[in-house]
Amino acid sequence: MKNLDFAKMTSRSLYLQALFAPERQQGPGFAFALVPAMQRLYADATERGRALARHAGFFGTHPVLVGYVLGVVARLEERRAQGAPIDDQKIEEQKRALASPLAALGDPLFWVTLRPLAGLMGILGLAFFPLASTVAPDQRVLLCPLLVLLTYNAVALHYRAHGVPRGYAMADEPGKLLHSLRLKPLKAIFERVSAFLFGFLVVLTLGPMTESADPAGMGLAHTVSVLAPFALAGITTILALRRWPGRSVELALTAALVALVVSTRV
Amino acid sequence: MIFWELLCVALLGGLLALDRSAGWNFMLGQPLVGACLAGSLLAGALLHPGSEWGLWALRIPLGVGVLLQLLLTDPSLPAAQKPRDAATAGVIGASVGILCLERLHPSFSLLTGGIIWVLVGTLAGLLSSVAGGWMEATMRAVNQDRARRGEALLLEGKVAAFEALYWRGVGLLFLRGATWSAAATVAGVAAAALLLPRAIRILTGPHAGLLFAVILGVAFGSGYHTHVRTPRHGFRWAALGALIALGVFVQLKKGGGH
Repeated sequence: MKNLDFAKMTSRSLYLQALFAPERQQGPGFAFALVPAMQRLYADATERGRALARHAGFFGTHPVLVGYVLGVVARLEERRAQGAPIDDQKIEEQKRALASPLAALGDPLFWVTLRPLAGLMGILGLAFFPLASTVAPDQRVLLCPLLVLLTYNAVALHYRAHGVPRGYAMADEPGKLLHSLRLKPLKAIFERVSAFLFGFLVVLTLGPMTESADPAGMGLAHTVSVLAPFALAGITTILALRRWPGRSVELALTAALVALVVSTRV
Repeated sequence: MIFWELLCVALLGGLLALDRSAGWNFMLGQPLVGACLAGSLLAGALLHPGSEWGLWALRIPLGVGVLLQLLLTDPSLPAAQKPRDAATAGVIGASVGILCLERLHPSFSLLTGGIIWVLVGTLAGLLSSVAGGWMEATMRAVNQDRARRGEALLLEGKVAAFEALYWRGVGLLFLRGATWSAAATVAGVAAAALLLPRAIRILTGPHAGLLFAVILGVAFGSGYHTHVRTPRHGFRWAALGALIALGVFVQLKKGGGH
């Protein structure tokens, strides 16, 4: 196996989920990413096709971490092609032994923690980058998304780039490989940063809102009445999401409808 | 609607659909990123600032993007998530907001400001995320058949045919994202052009402000659920962040800073 093969497998792993379906999940994508390795190992097209077909069945892991599984499988397939006594079952077992823990550790790190944190960094960019003057373009429209991309990819690209070669090199020590990735401690750090920054964002939003709620100096009661819809909607959402998690869209649409009806009646 | 604008929306929508569905996962498909990219492409204000609505043209994508980002970030594991197409929602929301601003701006009082277009864009984005989620589910049924065909091709030793089938799947994902983004944008602008002039009486400045405050409240409630409630000890860390921000805010006020 050459570095070029690793690079090809890594680039193909970017399309891992293009044929995603509940029955096989990322299986076809895994076989697609393995093609460069199999082309190196099997000269005969029928043999190569059969070897790839063994990997087109059910497979599921975290897409950012798939490179590690690809590397391990490529190494085992290489030994098998060289005549080592490795059967289908052994490869499948090794594959699953690594794919499942990587999914269990990767999903909470990348989907549940890092993705929301990246979005939050982009939102905070609105407060930290200077507001545009009336005659200049608002650069925040480019800087905020850039913050999102940099925050997420600074972590994810590292795992993507090192996945295949590292998996290939540590194919015999899957436990050590998993431990070396340090996914769990990273998650704990990002969770805390995310909660901290959200608290920061709430004050950054509420501060100017409170100031602008009472420009004529009509008193606390006026400020409270102006901020009440925001606070009421926020608290109701927090309570409602405990009961119906993942229903933010429905809650937002319902709240908008209720607000429209109430505002036209009052 | 100008062909060029729709082409921009379609290409961007297709690209972001690939990021989300094919497996790139560079986070181009986050609503804030999609909305801002759509805004940069559609708002000529980036190149020609200072026009009557130029300033708002770039604040709309930011506003729509922030609200959709908070509302569409689901902290559940992928298997437990509701099917939502968050990738194209940002593009569609920002595009509808900007294109409506361009076309319907003269019909509305300046008192409503640009907030009305942020609201229109956000609602368009939310509705499109639900409908896009349904479309994604049908796409997976198509993928099931293609995956079986792919395995059959491999068993016959036709690796090149399998690769061609796979690339066609990638192309289909792009096409779905592109056509859905363009179609939903046209539908959103048409619906707004039809409904908004009739609702001109109720869409005054205060009404728009109230609606915005409520949606912002829901967005922050959703953000709390994502960033604070889900992680362990989230509340403590959020309280610490809030306290530090408060300290900074008070210091800036004392010093007369902004």
